[in-house]
Amino acid sequence: MRDRANPYRPRETKHKTWHRSPAEDINPSMPNIHEGLAGEEQGRSCRGDDNDSNSMSGLKQVSELDDFGLAEAQNDGMLLLSCLLEDSLRFKMVEGESADLAQLEDDPSVRQVVANGARMRTNVVEAKLDEGNIQEAESALREGLSLNSEEARALLGKLEYQRGNVEGALRVFDGMDLQEAIQRMQPSISDKQAPKKGRSRTESITAVPQNASSVVLEAVYIKAKSLQKLGKLTEAAEECKRVLDAVEKIFSDGIPDVWVENKLQETVSRAVELLPELWKLAGCYSEAMSAYRRALLSQWNVDNECCARIQKAFAVFLLYSGIEVGPPNLAVQIDGSYVPKNNLEEAILLLMILMRKCYLGKVKWDPSVLEHLTFALSICSQTSVLAKQLEEVMPGVIRRAERWKTMALSFSGAGQNNSALDLLRKSLHQHEEPDDIRSLLMAAKICSENVFLAAEGVNYANRVIANAHGSNAHLKGVGLRMLGLCLGKQAKTSSSDFERSRLQSEALKSLDSALALEPKNSDLIFELGLQYAEHRNLDAALRYAKQYLDATGGSMIRGWRLLALVLSAQQRFSEAEVVTDAALDETSKWDQGPLLRMKAKLKVSLFQHKDAIETYRYLLALVQAQRKSSGPLAAVPQMEDDNINEYEVWHGLAKLYSSLSHWKDAEACLGKARTLKEYSAETLHTEGVIHEKQGHNSEALASYINGLLLEPRYVPCKILLGAVLSKMGTKMLPVARTLLSDALRIEPTNSMAWYHLGKVHKEDGRIADAVDCFQAAYMLQESEPIESFSTIR
Amino acid sequence: MEDQASSSPDKSTNNKPRITWSDSYSKAHLAIDALAAILPALPPALSASETPAASLLQDPEVATQISQLFRRPDSGAVTDNLCAWLYDTFHSSEPDLQLVILRFLPTLAGVYLSRAGLHKPLPGFESVLLAIYAHETAARNGQAITVSIPDLAHSSIYHETKQTAKNSSTELHLGVVSASLEPYGTVRSTRRARIVGVALELYYSKISQIPVGSKIEFCEFCKIWSGQEDQNNGDGASTANDSQKVEKKEGRGGRIILPWEILQPILRILGHCLMAPEKNEELFQAAFSACRCLQARALHDINAKVILATGSLVKLAEMAIDPAAAAVDHTEISMSN
Repeated sequence: MRDRANPYRPRETKHKTWHRSPAEDINPSMPNIHEGLAGEEQGRSCRGDDNDSNSMSGLKQVSELDDFGLAEAQNDGMLLLSCLLEDSLRFKMVEGESADLAQLEDDPSVRQVVANGARMRTNVVEAKLDEGNIQEAESALREGLSLNSEEARALLGKLEYQRGNVEGALRVFDGMDLQEAIQRMQPSISDKQAPKKGRSRTESITAVPQNASSVVLEAVYIKAKSLQKLGKLTEAAEECKRVLDAVEKIFSDGIPDVWVENKLQETVSRAVELLPELWKLAGCYSEAMSAYRRALLSQWNVDNECCARIQKAFAVFLLYSGIEVGPPNLAVQIDGSYVPKNNLEEAILLLMILMRKCYLGKVKWDPSVLEHLTFALSICSQTSVLAKQLEEVMPGVIRRAERWKTMALSFSGAGQNNSALDLLRKSLHQHEEPDDIRSLLMAAKICSENVFLAAEGVNYANRVIANAHGSNAHLKGVGLRMLGLCLGKQAKTSSSDFERSRLQSEALKSLDSALALEPKNSDLIFELGLQYAEHRNLDAALRYAKQYLDATGGSMIRGWRLLALVLSAQQRFSEAEVVTDAALDETSKWDQGPLLRMKAKLKVSLFQHKDAIETYRYLLALVQAQRKSSGPLAAVPQMEDDNINEYEVWHGLAKLYSSLSHWKDAEACLGKARTLKEYSAETLHTEGVIHEKQGHNSEALASYINGLLLEPRYVPCKILLGAVLSKMGTKMLPVARTLLSDALRIEPTNSMAWYHLGKVHKEDGRIADAVDCFQAAYMLQESEPIESFSTIR
Repeated sequence: MEDQASSSPDKSTNNKPRITWSDSYSKAHLAIDALAAILPALPPALSASETPAASLLQDPEVATQISQLFRRPDSGAVTDNLCAWLYDTFHSSEPDLQLVILRFLPTLAGVYLSRAGLHKPLPGFESVLLAIYAHETAARNGQAITVSIPDLAHSSIYHETKQTAKNSSTELHLGVVSASLEPYGTVRSTRRARIVGVALELYYSKISQIPVGSKIEFCEFCKIWSGQEDQNNGDGASTANDSQKVEKKEGRGGRIILPWEILQPILRILGHCLMAPEKNEELFQAAFSACRCLQARALHDINAKVILATGSLVKLAEMAIDPAAAAVDHTEISMSN
């Protein structure tokens, strides 16, 4: 179906009666103009005689017939739509009526003009034009084809234009009052509403200007094209606009469907498409914008492809012109329908409509539409919408591996890494594109963020390194970096000590060789620092932390945090506090949460408990204010995942009060924390600590066990449960030992676990083991940061 | 549009209370006089210009000199006269003159971001950037710029069928183009990217009035910031050499971290440089090359969103220069029928 068909439904029924089949309208009753190269059909009918004067007289006869036909048609109230017929029918008519009258040379190289059932060769006219004699050329045409002066001029102009002589065409049009011709067409239309009694009268009235307008409007359009070719863009646009204005006045209800194959419709379609382009080329952007909207919002009955071209051109203009003219005006708005409020929205809407047309098969698939949409949606961080759009594309349009890859990127961009990884696995299948370096990189990146996927990520990263050659050689460093990160993550889940240390040293080796390739990559510097810190190689970690801070100019909060945590691990608390304060100076208040939490913990380590409470209080106020003020539109904090929540603050305060033995305050804070997060191993852990400190061992035991039931891998509960059990007699010692060993398997650097395990060994009499454990605990405690390094991302 | 209205010599507006031609004219001349004291050689034509602000905007000589001043090792300090001039001129509240300041933003931001560190304060540059940031904050009243992604299940003005489907409830996709703004009195290092990013957003919103030279400078800085080599500079060899020269001048490579808040306006500006209605071959090549560099950088950072955006820009640019895809002119009338 045609695109804008719907609005025409009523008109179609109105005109249905006079839209008769072509065979009935064999008699050409209107002056009609047709020109072109002599084709096969014409040739057949015009064989033999090349006597021009002879054929001329024949043409006159035909034209008389025509005039007679016109009168007759009007009398009979017959519909005069034959002018709208397909060209082939016109030729047949010519064949039948004038086969022996007008016989022209059978030479396809000679251009001919055909009108009113007559034809003449253009070389006669063109020769006159070349002499600069427009008048004579015109009269030759008028006589030869029985045209009125206006039509002859229009035809002359077109001839000149088609010959490539645009100046000539303009000269011809200059002698023609197109404006007046346009105006003359209108009154005959203006009374079209009046005669409603007889259908026949209405039709005959409208039929006349319809054809005349076709000629005149095409002339105006060609004038616009000629001006465009001469670089007079503004004038060209004005002319082109006149075509559309006239059409709008003549057919205020839209163009009837029956005219679709007609020349007039062709002219209108071209003018609709040309006008915005002309304004654009002329640099009149606001005019271009309204011309585009006029083209798309008014009913021009343009075909699907043409409408799609305009929509795409407009979307491109909206996306990239950088000119914000304002939303479409209220006149076009319809209740409940979506009206874009800015350029980006309008562009996205158009592109989405185009995508849908493509997959409904209405228009040809255009890959650039998808690229524009990708750009527009990524710019506003809505790649999940893009994934949905890609899902809707019909199979066979985009290569499936390509589609999976782009969808994976879209999902990953929207934070849906699991879906992204699933798609990447498909596209990296050995029968698809197993060596595609971008998919491999993306997959490795996603795996590097998850301990349970790290082993898979190692595989991807190795394949990246293997495929980093040729134009992708620059990605080798990235491959090594991902390998290092994945190995580091894999080490965390490793069950054997030997395996773990092997993985860790391999991870560091990969990161080091990545740094050799990309010495300026600040992310890499940070990751090395973090890796060393987790390895408790604090000197190296400190060096990289400082280097990262310098490289980023202090612009990344995670850099400040890493430095402060490394310093705190070295037990240099006051220096860590100085760093934290400096970091607070460099951050705006909404980003300060994690830094304040760190500061409070530092104060605790410095035994400045009042300051610590004060800091927590400030943090609480900040968090509460943030919750109230920030809608979805607020600036995203630099560390999205690390945004502090109210629960953490209350929990931190509870821990602080319990360490100060302020049981009531601790309970109160814990209560607050519990209202925010009902079931939490952390809360139960602190609750247990409070009970234990007050000597309520069985309550403490219950809390720890509950905590472990909620979160079986929660290490602090495991340790304290083991510790409490170890105090309950020698029978319990094996249980305690199992729990503590288990805790150490999960978190080998936990000094508390080592300490309590040492105590268990001592109770059991294994002094040498106990010494080892205590030593480990001491060393680890000496290098323990105030917060786990893994809290930095 | 606006600048024509205010700077065209229209005597009739002289006595009216609103901002008059003479007002903006004299302000522009004051700015030019002040600039004459700073630049080594101000083109004499400027002082006599009928449309001083527009001449200042377009003058390539002034641009070269200012760009050289920016690149001096001691630029951006408290005593930097040029920064003071930029600051004062921006505060003149004349849209034309503000446009002149924005014209120099690429170089200013480029030099600033490459140099900004903890050890060397650059209050001169920062004052200008903060002035621009404050202007935008005030203009937007601190509000975020958002885009609600249309849902084709609901009818829209461009739908073919005008029925409203009320039964289908759909989730609202609200894209944030620019987050809400808070006033800042100083450049805190963690907010540096945001402040520069907002300045670039303002640059983008005026980009159709900015001279091509400024945009080309911007593209060159994008390449430097990416820290990547253009893998595919067959025809853009000359521009690559230029950027290497600049790089050497900048000293330490110039690779900077590129968070989204700064990348997003960069990508929009590059999109404009590649596909704006007014075509310029040199600008196109510069932007194309910058896009390739940023694409390589996105792969190094493995940032999905940026890989998508730069990838489509590169593909669109390739389509634009593909001779096979040279469009048929559908507006041409048939030459034979």
